[in-house]
Amino acid sequence: MLIETMTSLGVPELLAQFIYAVLIAFLCVNFIAIYAGVVSVVERRVAAKMQSRVGPNRVGPQGALQWLADGIKLILKEDLIPNGADKFLFKLAPFLMASGVAGAFIVLPWGPSSVIGADLNVGLLYLISVTALVAIATLMAAWASNNKWSLLGGMRAAAMIVSYEIPVAMGLLPAIMIAGSLQVSVLMDAQGWAPWDWIVFNNPFAMLGFLLFVTGSVAESNRTPFDLTEAESELVAGYATEYSGFRFAVFTLAEFANTWVVGAVGAAIFLGAGHAPPILSSLPGIEVVIFVGKTMFMVLILMWFRWTLPRFRIDQMMDFSWKYMLPLSLIAFFGQAIYFLGTWDQPGIQIVVSHLMVLAFLGLLFLFLNRVMINFKHQAVVVNSPQTELAYLEKIGKIKPKVVESDVATEEAP
Amino acid sequence: MNMTPQRSSVRQYFHNMINGITSMYEGMSITLASCFFRAQTIQYPDVDVSSHETLIKDYKGNLRGIPENYRGMLDVDMATCTACLICMRACPIDCIIITNVKCDKETFLGSTGKKAIKTRAATRFDIDMGKCMFCGLCSLPCPTGAIFHTKEFDATPDNLEALVQKYVTPEEAERLEKRAVEIAEEAQIAKAAKAAKAAEKAKQEAEAAEKAKPEAKANDPKTTEES
Repeated sequence: MLIETMTSLGVPELLAQFIYAVLIAFLCVNFIAIYAGVVSVVERRVAAKMQSRVGPNRVGPQGALQWLADGIKLILKEDLIPNGADKFLFKLAPFLMASGVAGAFIVLPWGPSSVIGADLNVGLLYLISVTALVAIATLMAAWASNNKWSLLGGMRAAAMIVSYEIPVAMGLLPAIMIAGSLQVSVLMDAQGWAPWDWIVFNNPFAMLGFLLFVTGSVAESNRTPFDLTEAESELVAGYATEYSGFRFAVFTLAEFANTWVVGAVGAAIFLGAGHAPPILSSLPGIEVVIFVGKTMFMVLILMWFRWTLPRFRIDQMMDFSWKYMLPLSLIAFFGQAIYFLGTWDQPGIQIVVSHLMVLAFLGLLFLFLNRVMINFKHQAVVVNSPQTELAYLEKIGKIKPKVVESDVATEEAP
Repeated sequence: MNMTPQRSSVRQYFHNMINGITSMYEGMSITLASCFFRAQTIQYPDVDVSSHETLIKDYKGNLRGIPENYRGMLDVDMATCTACLICMRACPIDCIIITNVKCDKETFLGSTGKKAIKTRAATRFDIDMGKCMFCGLCSLPCPTGAIFHTKEFDATPDNLEALVQKYVTPEEAERLEKRAVEIAEEAQIAKAAKAAKAAEKAKQEAEAAEKAKPEAKANDPKTTEES
């Protein structure tokens, strides 16, 4: 639309396209910078909540400006390049990584299906390919650092990303089959506002595909439980060992921006994108709000994963990818195909299945919340006081209640 | 690996899958439950941790303030110290150094409620807190409760010398030493006087005895006769 306006004003089309591209890139990169900063603080606060801590709360109200302080600190630090490093590749690697992540933002929607940087007809394929640039950047950083820890981290990252690309792509296949396109806007329009219109609840195989996509994406974005590339106890900081200052900040930025990519793709393709209920659809900007809400929900789930699950061992990680996720993704793919063959001309069955899926999910959710309540009660024990600990043990029946002497006396008296 | 029961590889495969899902379900529920739980961190400089009562004014977690029997920095109440050197000898790493001199006799009640008699005063009472390991062996045997652990813990000085706590000022030590010399002189005078008195008494007694001798001699037959 912008290109057409410019060409009608007499700007050559190539120049108009270039201006449009630069504008979109500028917006995306700035969004990444601010989002990564904010979400790093959010993540630390969430982690603190999950560990009964407080988290950063000094800079600004409730630590809201901590990311600015961190950024200023990192930018002011000395930019060290180790002796014997391949200077050109060493300098290039962080920006290649950031550009790999930023490239994915081109095909990401921002609410309505019409607002996409470039609505490619091979959108998802492009997304999967361009995020694989991260593997090259990681390996490049690792190799150029001239450091064994870096190299080990980089090799792990390359092995991991290559392994998990396949389940991620296969996990997206059920959704692609349902919508019949790789184009992100078509995938978004194939869904409705209600949960039973979402692709994730379309049938069990789409659900399986969604789970595989999320798991594989966590691995691809090098987050715990798959953060073997920067396992502190084994590899210091992995491929980022030799980096400092702004270059290190760019690595961190790319990592956090990746969470938005995962969240936005999940929300757009599986969780019904920004479709608003008919009652609310007249409100301006409601689609953006819903879409960003769903994306942030996905990001919070990624944080929840990160602060719950322990890190995999390298062989366990490879086992998990090749022995478990790959067969499951094949099941999702072929199951979806067979389900389609069976219910091609019976929309009634499809509707029943999707509604049953939502019901089953709600049931599971309530079971889970019940379990959360039980765990909350187990944790809500006053610590550091022998009386309270004994009383708790008495209550749950681990020890016999202590008989108070005065009670015995009063019982014996009459 | 060896702890797990023997299964066929196919069963093991599905067991692993189910085990992974159930353990993840439980773990995720635990961390979600923690989200709704109070933060347990004591934000130290912002809250007063010196006792539980002061702590719970600003703090809603489950941790407690410093307990009453906390062994913090040592302190000495010189008014009740009898310079008996028990703490110095009890200290396993010799971080307490005391020298003492005689002083005026004084009787008082110690902080433990026991009656104490002070006959000596410390002219030097140094505790090297840099060496102290806060074992409490000095405050335990103190007969008057003069040396005790406070609840203070943030006592970092900017140099090593400041870690040595000195409880007797040089002027005070000088005064006490002068007084000790006076006491010694007094004691000597008193001793001399006593000796003189004793000598006089002995002399008198001797004189009396000498006087009494002839009398006794004279009286002797008389007495024998009388008896």
